[in-house]
Amino acid sequence: MFTRILIANRGEIALRVIRTCRRLGIETVAVYSEADRDAIYLKLADESYCIGPPEVAKSYLRTENIIAAAEVADVEAIHPGYGFLAENRRFADICKSCQISFIGPPVEAMEVFGDKVKAKSIAKKAGVPAVPGSDGPVADDKEAVEIAHRIGYPVLLKAAAGGGGRGMRAVHNDASLLSAISAARAEAQIAFGEAAVYVEKLIERAHHVEIQALADAHGNCIHLGERDCSIQRRHQKLIEESPSPIISRKQRDEMGRAAIRLLKEAGYTNAGTVEFVIDEKGKYYFIEVNARIQVEHTVTEMITGLDLVEEQLRIASGEPLRHRQKDIQLNGHVIECRINAEDPDAGFAPRPGRVSMFFPPQGRGIRVDSHVYSGYMVPPQYDSLLGKLVVKGSDREDAIRRSRQALEDFILEGVPNTIQFQQRVLEHELFIKGKHYTTFVDEELTT
Amino acid sequence: MDLDKIQELLKLMKSHGLEEIEIEDNDYRVRLKKESQGVAVTAPQVVAAPAAGAPPAQAAGAAPPADEFAESPDHFFITSPIVGSFYRSPSPDAEPFVEIGDPIDADKVVCIVEAMKVMNEVKAESPGVIEKIFIENGKPVEYGQPLFRVARS
Repeated sequence: MFTRILIANRGEIALRVIRTCRRLGIETVAVYSEADRDAIYLKLADESYCIGPPEVAKSYLRTENIIAAAEVADVEAIHPGYGFLAENRRFADICKSCQISFIGPPVEAMEVFGDKVKAKSIAKKAGVPAVPGSDGPVADDKEAVEIAHRIGYPVLLKAAAGGGGRGMRAVHNDASLLSAISAARAEAQIAFGEAAVYVEKLIERAHHVEIQALADAHGNCIHLGERDCSIQRRHQKLIEESPSPIISRKQRDEMGRAAIRLLKEAGYTNAGTVEFVIDEKGKYYFIEVNARIQVEHTVTEMITGLDLVEEQLRIASGEPLRHRQKDIQLNGHVIECRINAEDPDAGFAPRPGRVSMFFPPQGRGIRVDSHVYSGYMVPPQYDSLLGKLVVKGSDREDAIRRSRQALEDFILEGVPNTIQFQQRVLEHELFIKGKHYTTFVDEELTT
Repeated sequence: MDLDKIQELLKLMKSHGLEEIEIEDNDYRVRLKKESQGVAVTAPQVVAAPAAGAPPAQAAGAAPPADEFAESPDHFFITSPIVGSFYRSPSPDAEPFVEIGDPIDADKVVCIVEAMKVMNEVKAESPGVIEKIFIENGKPVEYGQPLFRVARS
């Protein structure tokens, strides 16, 4: 096991990783930009280094500064958290050449899953059904129409270089496809510098269900069940839960095995998540692999009792997995609500500022992962996530009830935030019945 | 001279980080000054001992600790532009780029900060005279850390 690691991240995930390291007796080195001088977790780390000015590009994304700090602090490994350099191949490569362990998958696996075309072909090899569509960018309008006929309308026109839900257009027939495709190409060119567009089946009323997996460097791979992340706003996850209210035990086993086959085919190691979309008929399709620890990993921790960051550290230091598939049990029901410094009444505009009072809910089955404290100044340069409220109940109804109570007990003053908005979602009939889908929030709850 | 009072003053000096303290009242005047090897006690004038229990006078002229990093229009700081290791000379055998008291112009390279095997030369950016060097040769520095204090010329 490592004796000293650097955490190349900030906010709640930096605090989260430091916490597990302290428990395992691993020395921690934190890094911070000038905007994060008052970060609370700096007090908990053994050492901390200022690595740049507030701008992300000059600090948390500046590979040279992170590596320089790692060398000066003489660490054995770097945990990249999520976002920033977590899925950056160049960064992982440089860590390797500097003899610093990168706590994540091998570069080759990152490459495969970072490329849509390669990922799809690996999925085919592993016998995992992918969302039907073109195998790459469409050569011309004729091909686009052919593919649309083959897979059936409605389809999505997607920018090949796009991401984060941007550059996508839904079309329902030939006429709208032909008129939309040139606009889509133009948009893609402007937004991403590439006019390449591909065609994908549009799954309506979809559920987003992802499988958490762990793979070691000895050929072992297990899955830790699913997380249903169908409550989203403009493709950004708001609420995640486990188990999914719409899949059966049989489906879970099938999807879990599919995820394992896929990751093994790519030689993947460490923690990873395989994302699927499930249509109204219950059919599942592979979308992509998230080759990192995710924001919502906490849901899986609460339902399985495992510490995923600990598992990551163990895998990265060469240990074999300590659990077999049959050891993994999902107990109870867990719901996570992300709390963001955003104003729901102003189109969810981010609202940096001073949190005058921060008093999170407490009690059995309640977990709050947050770096915020009373008096904390939310800086404008980074994401708006203030914290995660993760609640466990004996079943879904109990988890919903406890979550609503916890949100009510949550005192957060000084910045507009999404606590009340989350309440509205949890009170909505569609959510309570489990009949929600990925566009439900956009359609029903936001103006 | 009341030894207990002197002990008290020594404690005061230590707890407040004082380098010098001078106390005077009707009956005595005592000046305690901290030197590198300890504290020198000088009593320039000893007047007839007062009655026991005379209250200690209020400390006069207690020197506050100097703040080396205080901002002032008379000087500026050269800070590290990156994370790395601080070196005072272009190579291990060479003379340091600058010493205290050296005048410098804006283009003068004052030190090297090494990161990932790249030697980054740090320039003064403004003219002046080197007043203080904060970091020892070879020690690690972080982004924004003060390296030199330079008196403006």
